[in-house]
Amino acid sequence: MTRRFWRRNGATGWALTAPATLAVIGFLLVPIGAVIAGTFMDPRGVFAPYMSYFNSGFRTTVLFRTLQIAALTTVISLIFGFMTAYVVLRAPGKLKSLLIVAAVFPLLTGVVVRAFAWLIILGRNGILNQTLLALGITSEPLEMLYTQGAVIIGMVYLFVPLMVLSLVGVLENIPKDVLQASSSLGASPLATFWQVLLPLAVPGLIVGAVLVFTGSFTAYATPQLLGGERQTVLATLLHQRAMVSFDWVGASTIAAIMTVITITIVLAMSHIARRINPMAT
Amino acid sequence: MTQPLDINAVSAHYGTTKVLEDLSLSVQAGELVSLLGASGCGKTTTLRLIAGFLSPTSGSITLGGRDLTRLPTHKRDIGLVFQNYALFPHLTVLENVAFGLKQRGIAPAERRKRALAMLERVGLAALADRAPGALSGGQKQRVALARALVIEPPLLMFDEPLSNLDAKLRVDMRVEIRQLQRANGTTSVYVTHDQEEAFSISDRVAIMNAGRLMQFDRPEVLYRRPANTFVARFVGFENIIPFKVTAREGDRVTAETAGMALRLPQSAYGTIPDTFLLATRPDGLVVSTDPAAEGLPATLGLRTYLGRAYQYQCETPAGHLIANGSLTAPLESGTAVKLVPAPEQCTILAAEGAR
Amino acid sequence: MSDRPHPILIGVAALVYFFLMVPLVIVVGAALSDTTYLTFPPQGLSLRWFENIFAISAFRRTIVTSLQIAFLGTLIALLIGIPAAYALNRFRVELPRWLGTLFVLPILVPEIVFGFALLKSLTVGAGVPVFVALLIGHTLLVLPYVVRVISASLASFDFSIEEAAISLGSAPVKTFFTIVLPNVRAGVIAAFILAFITSLNDVSVSLFLTGPGISTLPIQILAHVEQFFDPTVASVSVLLMFLTVAVMAVVERTLGLTFLAK
Repeated sequence: MTRRFWRRNGATGWALTAPATLAVIGFLLVPIGAVIAGTFMDPRGVFAPYMSYFNSGFRTTVLFRTLQIAALTTVISLIFGFMTAYVVLRAPGKLKSLLIVAAVFPLLTGVVVRAFAWLIILGRNGILNQTLLALGITSEPLEMLYTQGAVIIGMVYLFVPLMVLSLVGVLENIPKDVLQASSSLGASPLATFWQVLLPLAVPGLIVGAVLVFTGSFTAYATPQLLGGERQTVLATLLHQRAMVSFDWVGASTIAAIMTVITITIVLAMSHIARRINPMAT
Repeated sequence: MTQPLDINAVSAHYGTTKVLEDLSLSVQAGELVSLLGASGCGKTTTLRLIAGFLSPTSGSITLGGRDLTRLPTHKRDIGLVFQNYALFPHLTVLENVAFGLKQRGIAPAERRKRALAMLERVGLAALADRAPGALSGGQKQRVALARALVIEPPLLMFDEPLSNLDAKLRVDMRVEIRQLQRANGTTSVYVTHDQEEAFSISDRVAIMNAGRLMQFDRPEVLYRRPANTFVARFVGFENIIPFKVTAREGDRVTAETAGMALRLPQSAYGTIPDTFLLATRPDGLVVSTDPAAEGLPATLGLRTYLGRAYQYQCETPAGHLIANGSLTAPLESGTAVKLVPAPEQCTILAAEGAR
Repeated sequence: MSDRPHPILIGVAALVYFFLMVPLVIVVGAALSDTTYLTFPPQGLSLRWFENIFAISAFRRTIVTSLQIAFLGTLIALLIGIPAAYALNRFRVELPRWLGTLFVLPILVPEIVFGFALLKSLTVGAGVPVFVALLIGHTLLVLPYVVRVISASLASFDFSIEEAAISLGSAPVKTFFTIVLPNVRAGVIAAFILAFITSLNDVSVSLFLTGPGISTLPIQILAHVEQFFDPTVASVSVLLMFLTVAVMAVVERTLGLTFLAK
């Protein structure tokens, strides 16, 4: 009887990865590459689409608004996510799994559903206004929708569960005995937090922050529903340019700007996170 | 500086399982006491209770008369050396050692001086600015030791500190630990599952099993005079034979097991109760080919070579026994012999009801 | 651990969970409302808005499309993703590192840009039918999840078991199906569920790839919300949530939910 063993060589490996590799190259890298390359082939000049983008006051406002919304969302999610993750981690067994499930659930609920919920809450006749009016806190319904605040609330709602889950993982990876060593050496819980826990969590915090920043930087449904035209962001502008104005060059330029910013941030921050990770060696 | 530790009737639970039952143990000032036992015996639980990572369900722990029981860990002032070193990966070696001094509000210059001096003592001053991740296991252990010692705690505790090191380094480090502990005269509690390690460095050893203290004494006593069958088996008394006394004539006590009579000189064994267990190591049973010898009749089975002796698996009416025989005259399997107890290598244990 | 977090921290965490749960409760309440406008607490309970979902043909059609796309897309992603994940682990030494990174790329690239790029090159550029383009988009959208989850469970698989089976005379391909796959079953199930839910809820990729007559449920919901503000959307949302709960219950039964948190 002849036995044919898997030959441990690259050829088999390459063959097995080939379909997925070709799919990613053919349907992701090439199309996106074509979009970006296209922006440099404008008859008006190589950088013409970018010049006209940054010459438009409206469009630069949109870019900075998008960055601002993403940054605020990240900071708020980071602060609340960290505190919550800390509590989740310390919760007794049963409660802990319940809290994790409660964080996973919204994550698995669609973005449209979650944005829609805030539409009901923040609307002119929404629950919040009804409550405020009933309590006599205001006499007129407040205009809460289509503001930057509404978009940020919706985004934080979108990303806090992600942050909590990723930070629970980060905190769980900090060896318990290191924290115990800290308190055995006389560090109060507060000192242990600032001098040991937080420094060790920073690389994980960066990874979580990047996740939230890029997610909120490119989100479409939430700013569309809660921000409307008054709070146009890059994603909604991209859609509007392509599908309403049929301005393909303009849309491609926005796509290129979004891609470059996202990938730059991801690469730079994960590089930093790796470099300052004390647990790497 | 150096203070006695008292554990008074402490019990502890993990959920509904009882992990420690009514443990009382006193460690004298300056003494090194080992807690020895297999995993799950309660030794680590005891250490965690003293450190304050766990709370006892009842009982109290005092250090130098100060009640620690309700005190949070960071106020207990205990130096702790962890099994996995637990060095702070984001701090340098020097910062690791200075950490406890910083918590005590000591000025930066002074804590740097003291931390460096301590690193000097453990021979690591040259590595002060390294990251702990770049150190070898033995070096990490020295840093952990320096970090615990530099705060000059009234109590020092070790949680299996050498179990991650290789055999040679383990022996070197335990000598080093003992020397540092002696020099400082710090009261110490040392948790280990390694009998040799415990016996070699301790003033006294507490042998634990299933959450209870089995025997607490000097290593020499534990090794030669175990107090019960658990400790006897633990320290290598592989043969434990139940006897009933049938006659006493002066110094001669006749005892019987499985229908075989054996005459024992009472003076050589101390008091012999009416029912007792005779416990010996394989060395304590002399293999004799003289049919007239005063011993238990046995048939030799498998012979193995130990280097200093031959060891025989023996079948006797009293069950399976293990004896060592001389290197000069190896005996074949199947030989009928007598196994003669050597009094100085045997100990008499009280018969235990359930056995 | 004997030290509990500071009461203020516990308070903050409680507020965060309140903030997470309340909107979902409100959506459920709105869906059960008897009124023609959105309100909470519901005034009179009824299931009429659930019936309305199926009365509106656009919802009926998009639900079917969404399920088809999610199912087929996930299936194709598993078909190409499992061999890739296997090869990445089995031939870790032989294959270059960047190959692993390649399969994570669809997560790094903004989804909306990806959708736009596919619109330009497939639908407009190559005249690919809308359904096919949508399927391709969703397959690539979920591929990173498939590769990552299955890689994670293969990482803890002891490949010497596979070698043992082969040395005992089992053919390599048969060994994969009888030895390797059963041992990473949990990973495959988790990958399927994660991919399915991701695809079902996707907006950004589908946004550009839906065309006349063919749309997905989330896109249809989005369009509906912008035109009408009635509880139908809440009912569809609840329907989607129940689907999620059902799927999560299955996961909980088979693997435990902490698995998904990774």
